[in-house]
Amino acid sequence: MIRIRDLTFHYGDASKPALQDVNLEVEDGEFVLVTGPSGCGKSSLCRCLNGLIPHFYGGKIAGGLEVQGLDVMKHTTKELATRVGMVFQDPENQLVAMDVEREIAFGLENLAFPKGVIAKRMEESLDTLGISGLRYRQVHELSDGEKQKVIIASVLALHPDVLVLDEPTSELDPKSAEEVLSVVQRLNDELGITVILVEHRLDRVVHLVDRMIVLDEGRIVADGNPRAVLSNCDIASLGAGVPPIVRIVQRLRGNGVNVDGIPLTVKEGRSMLKEVFREAGGSELSQVESAHGKPVIEIDKLWHTYPEGPTALKNVSLRICQGEFVAIMGRNASGKTTLVKHINGLLKPTKGKVRVTGIDTQRATIAELARKVGFIFQNPNDHIFADTVEEEIVYILKNLGFDGAEIAVRVDETLEMFGLKEYRKQYPRSLSGGERQRVAVASVLVARPEVLILDEPTRGMEYRLKSELMRFLDGYSEKGNTVVLVTHDVETVAEYADRVILLSEGRVVVDGNKRDVLSRALFFSPQINRLVQAFERYGIPNNILTVDEALDILK
Amino acid sequence: MTSFRYKEKGTVIHRLNPFCKLAWVASLFVLALVLDNPLFLLLLFLSTLPLVITAQVWKEWTSFMKFAIYICLAIIVINALVSYQGTHVLAEAPFRIPVMGTPIITLEAIFYGIAMSIRLLAIISAFAILTLTINPDDMMLSMIRMKLPYKSVLVTALSTRFVPTLIDDVERITDVQRSRGLELDKGRLPRRIKGRMSVIIPLLSNSLDRTVQIAEAMESRAFGSGTKRTFYKDIKTSRIDIVTLIFGFAPCALGILMLILGYGGYQYYPTLGGMNLSGPEWSMLPILALTVSSVVFLAFLKRRIDLD
Repeated sequence: MIRIRDLTFHYGDASKPALQDVNLEVEDGEFVLVTGPSGCGKSSLCRCLNGLIPHFYGGKIAGGLEVQGLDVMKHTTKELATRVGMVFQDPENQLVAMDVEREIAFGLENLAFPKGVIAKRMEESLDTLGISGLRYRQVHELSDGEKQKVIIASVLALHPDVLVLDEPTSELDPKSAEEVLSVVQRLNDELGITVILVEHRLDRVVHLVDRMIVLDEGRIVADGNPRAVLSNCDIASLGAGVPPIVRIVQRLRGNGVNVDGIPLTVKEGRSMLKEVFREAGGSELSQVESAHGKPVIEIDKLWHTYPEGPTALKNVSLRICQGEFVAIMGRNASGKTTLVKHINGLLKPTKGKVRVTGIDTQRATIAELARKVGFIFQNPNDHIFADTVEEEIVYILKNLGFDGAEIAVRVDETLEMFGLKEYRKQYPRSLSGGERQRVAVASVLVARPEVLILDEPTRGMEYRLKSELMRFLDGYSEKGNTVVLVTHDVETVAEYADRVILLSEGRVVVDGNKRDVLSRALFFSPQINRLVQAFERYGIPNNILTVDEALDILK
Repeated sequence: MTSFRYKEKGTVIHRLNPFCKLAWVASLFVLALVLDNPLFLLLLFLSTLPLVITAQVWKEWTSFMKFAIYICLAIIVINALVSYQGTHVLAEAPFRIPVMGTPIITLEAIFYGIAMSIRLLAIISAFAILTLTINPDDMMLSMIRMKLPYKSVLVTALSTRFVPTLIDDVERITDVQRSRGLELDKGRLPRRIKGRMSVIIPLLSNSLDRTVQIAEAMESRAFGSGTKRTFYKDIKTSRIDIVTLIFGFAPCALGILMLILGYGGYQYYPTLGGMNLSGPEWSMLPILALTVSSVVFLAFLKRRIDLD
């Protein structure tokens, strides 16, 4: 049982509280989802539950905090370790040992358990997580998903009553994320472990949990069973991503259509919306085919083999035109990143040819190509190094040899465009996550590249920031620029891209209009498409991908 | 860069008791310092090769040695330039440096530089074998068994664990900045240094964030809980391991013996001494090779016994 009374917490140097008057009681065996915009206090709440706040972080704390009968103010994280297990976001930053067995033993060794007990607990947790095949492996050989499971096993070995997971899937690809979440669900279901899960991809978890808590600015703004919270609370305005299946019901109700209840799964959605769709049968989807300009990226029979490594690309030929918004999808290690790194010359073809705006990348330096091709990487923290936002944005122009007057004009314009004017002289690292992302994007776009490449920019990004970025990219491609987006996020692709290229084992397996690629695909379809599949018999087009399109049909 | 990393290959050398390997490297180090004779030093270097081959780490070992060759070249050049001893002058500078006199390059100084390089190669080879065949976790455990404080040992082990991650970070951030028009090898020195800063600063800030996260994760798993810690995987030391351990110290014992007998010395300055070794000193050569590489036989023997 977790009891939190009037909890308020300030980090050492902060003026605003991270948590404010939080009152919360969690019964044993509950599965609780915590969500809210970034900076809302989700992580702080997690840290309170195992005493990292106040013992590790320090700061001002007031109120009562009791976990499994222990007063957190009086008991340290170490003492709480056998009651509360903690799993964090980035698996790479939680592993201490070189091999899996030692990793799992780490906590038990710290608590001086005898060898026999460790051996027994090790077997149990390996089996519970279904990872006994990994036990003799070296940690660095594992995939991120496997690493995260090893971490859960190592926490589980301490036999905690409560498992706290702080965005455990944000660094994972969708398949690993699903696996990790189903493991967590089983732990809750079969072992009765209380689970507190922080997650912003609601569509992944909302059907698994008993209870949903929404935080904003350190306060609990909604708390209850997920259906109730989703129908009463305007989560979207808080920046959390509402699953499309819920959004469509909310919007229909807004239009005065009577739908009972809130669906949490596609299956529920099908039965709730059956009548609505039956009445709309026979409507046609108005298709807008956008015309594209001349080809800007021409890839001919491209092969790439890493030195002493695998062949990552095998005979890839592609033509991408001006004004196209292309999504490149595929499993991990299918060659997506290798492919896009050829477009700005970071990698050169082993065999074959890549031409960008007519320039052969083999004959141009990366800096020369940087005038034409902008590349935005996943983590804005990898971009940012300067002392002020302005310097950060000027950097690329100086490198490319622009003159002073031109630089001044462009910087002003870019700061304005990204709403960064007031931060001009600020230290970029001290900005919030969303603002830093904007700085990173601005620092590339100030060069006005004709081609913009983004490598998984939305991984781990909350919904509001994601849609902000995507809307911007959409506008950028409409101006005649080309956008190439590497992503795992089917919903985003369904909403914004024109064309989808699917890679597998270094080859292009599918390349076509997003509507053809994403509809009726088994695993790859967005939620709304999976919903309308069932209504094909009423004459509903089966290639609807988004909420807006579906609502169009239902008008 | 990943070639500097330990890989579990399961060869007899990998399975050798970590204490034995540590003892072997330490005593090889002593032996290398005791010997002066280039012939002995060369033989010492060659005697480490059977281990490299048995452990199947030839490729990784080579990348260590490539690195070592650069250091050796530097030693040879610097020694030739600054050591004015020796009688066979090969070249003389047309100017004088106050205090030091007229710079000369002598045959003896070059030869001495070469001999020192061979000594260094032998030592680096031994350390390379150790790094490539000892599981870092075992290494850590051995340190703790040798009564070094656990926390310091763990910090050392952790920093080695994060070397590959750091290398990945450097590669990634370099890609980011090159995409923003950074040209690492262009321009004058100040510009180049500034260019590197755009890689170094994100690297450092990311590492700081990482450190806090690791600390949090360790704290959450009861790290440093005050009670005396247990170790799930201990280093098993069987009887045969004790035998191998003794043989691990053999090169050191041999070194001391040779020091007492006055073998293995050599005169570099003012003129190079000849190779006129006495009979017993010649016979020391095969003994040296055997003593150093005997761990290989023992490693095979250990497997036989372990299998029985």
